[in-house]
Amino acid sequence: MIANLRVIRTTFELDIKQQAVDLFMIFGVVIQPLLIAIMAIYMLLERDASRGIYVVVGSGMTGLWTSLLFRGTFNINAERFMGTLEGIVASPTSLASVVLGKTLASVSLSLLSMIFSYGLASVVFRLPLSIAQPAVFVASLLVTILAFISFGLLISPLMAVNLSLTGWVNALEYPMYILGGFLFPILLLPGWSNPFSYLLAPYWAARVLHAASSGTATPAEILLSWSMMLLLGALYIAASYRLFRIVLRRARVEATLSLM
Amino acid sequence: MNAIEVRDLHRVFRATIGTIRRKTREVVAVDGISFDVRDGELFGLLGPNGAGKTTTVKMLTTLLIPTSGSATILGHDIVKNADAIRSRIGFIFGGERGLYWRLSAKDNLRYFADLYHVDPDVAKQRLPELLELVGLSGREDERVEGYSRGMRQRLHVARCLLHDPQVLFLDEPTMGLDPVGARDLRQVINNLVAQDKTVLLTTHYMFEADALCERVAVINHGKIVALDTPEGLKRHVEDLSVIELEVFGIAPKMVDLLRQIPDVHTVSVENRDQKQALRVHSHLGSAIVPQIMQRLDGNGVSIGRVTVREPTLEDAYVRLVGGEA
Repeated sequence: MIANLRVIRTTFELDIKQQAVDLFMIFGVVIQPLLIAIMAIYMLLERDASRGIYVVVGSGMTGLWTSLLFRGTFNINAERFMGTLEGIVASPTSLASVVLGKTLASVSLSLLSMIFSYGLASVVFRLPLSIAQPAVFVASLLVTILAFISFGLLISPLMAVNLSLTGWVNALEYPMYILGGFLFPILLLPGWSNPFSYLLAPYWAARVLHAASSGTATPAEILLSWSMMLLLGALYIAASYRLFRIVLRRARVEATLSLM
Repeated sequence: MNAIEVRDLHRVFRATIGTIRRKTREVVAVDGISFDVRDGELFGLLGPNGAGKTTTVKMLTTLLIPTSGSATILGHDIVKNADAIRSRIGFIFGGERGLYWRLSAKDNLRYFADLYHVDPDVAKQRLPELLELVGLSGREDERVEGYSRGMRQRLHVARCLLHDPQVLFLDEPTMGLDPVGARDLRQVINNLVAQDKTVLLTTHYMFEADALCERVAVINHGKIVALDTPEGLKRHVEDLSVIELEVFGIAPKMVDLLRQIPDVHTVSVENRDQKQALRVHSHLGSAIVPQIMQRLDGNGVSIGRVTVREPTLEDAYVRLVGGEA
């Protein structure tokens, strides 16, 4: 147990080191959310400057999702390309521990998106930014982090089971921005699409974070969003446990641990 | 006690070809091999490219599941007890991959120490020792992407030894190293055996197998075609002489023509810059040279120096694999 925790900690630390010099991740975590924030600020300022915090939270979540999706997709596959996957699988450590450490690193780094978006809105655009229910916001952010980590644990083995799925990674980025209600409420979408949003933990995260920042988070609203995030998170983890077993078994049968 | 026991091990790969009419093609990589490696022995697995060496090592290191047959490492089954094996073995696969290039050597070793559940205090003590052993002391804080091929290969050796494994699988560990680097690595391997480690080494280099291994299994087309000490293998060709000819522009068709000469056992060709070294095994010795020259001359092949010599382990190997080396 302690040894596995040590692996998670070291993976986290070294993955941060590697991501810090990865230009693609810098774009996904810093530049793209800032571009989205600038675009959203211009769109919203026309109507209501007090909604600046909505933009900060929403664009921050786009960074969180982009980082999680891309890193999650390539967590296992990048190890395969580097030839390090065999070293991990042949070690006494579970692959899930390594992926958990990497997912923690991605989620932690992507929280920077929210900080940068906050800085942009307050310093450059001088928008009045205040979080109406800060305690609820912070607690919801912690539950959000747990939900995103569980989603990351699902994405990594899913993408490793079938390499051709990685080709779809770009197509999955923007639908989550929309279905997750990051930048506008899903009530603006056709009604038939709403059930898809309800199955996504990021939607519940966006819903409660937006509510806490604008001061509309009722106890019932908070309880519902937290419960859904925890429930969906538990389902993602159960599915990922099964997927990790399939990945490892299939890799040893089909010889896909290495590319060479 | 045997550290490694392999019984009738098979591995078949299935590949799908075609887009509309998809067909499944089966490739037999390992075809019923059996051998034992004694505790503390340095055992060699010798064979040409595609012979099944790496597939065998990947099965024994629990990275591949055999199609049939069985194998045990230190008494543990490679399929049923993979977890019990993993902390007791170390492996190196030839090449530069398998390391985190954006991290320093020290970070790489620290990470693999954690993956292998090495106690942090032990790791702290062992890291400088291993870096010293592989000659990377003073360079440990540099990123691996700036390392030469030889340095990366040496880092692999240090990584492989971090958790003090009892059994080591070294798959062409000296591949691509310069002669000095390869010699140093062979010295490291010798030291490991002196420390009672069991080593299974695969290699292309005959002199390496001859110098290091107590016993050698020659593998070809997935089957073991001979298993003996290097001296024992040389006896396979003691009745033969080796005729070496320096030739220019010999075509594969010509090599086949030479193979048809009665009393010629094997013919192999090695490319050396613009010329080729043609090696013919025959029990007739120099008496067969005129027949060879006649066939080559008649087909417009230029011939340089011709020598007749006693066979070596390499010649035994060439004969065993039918001139495919």
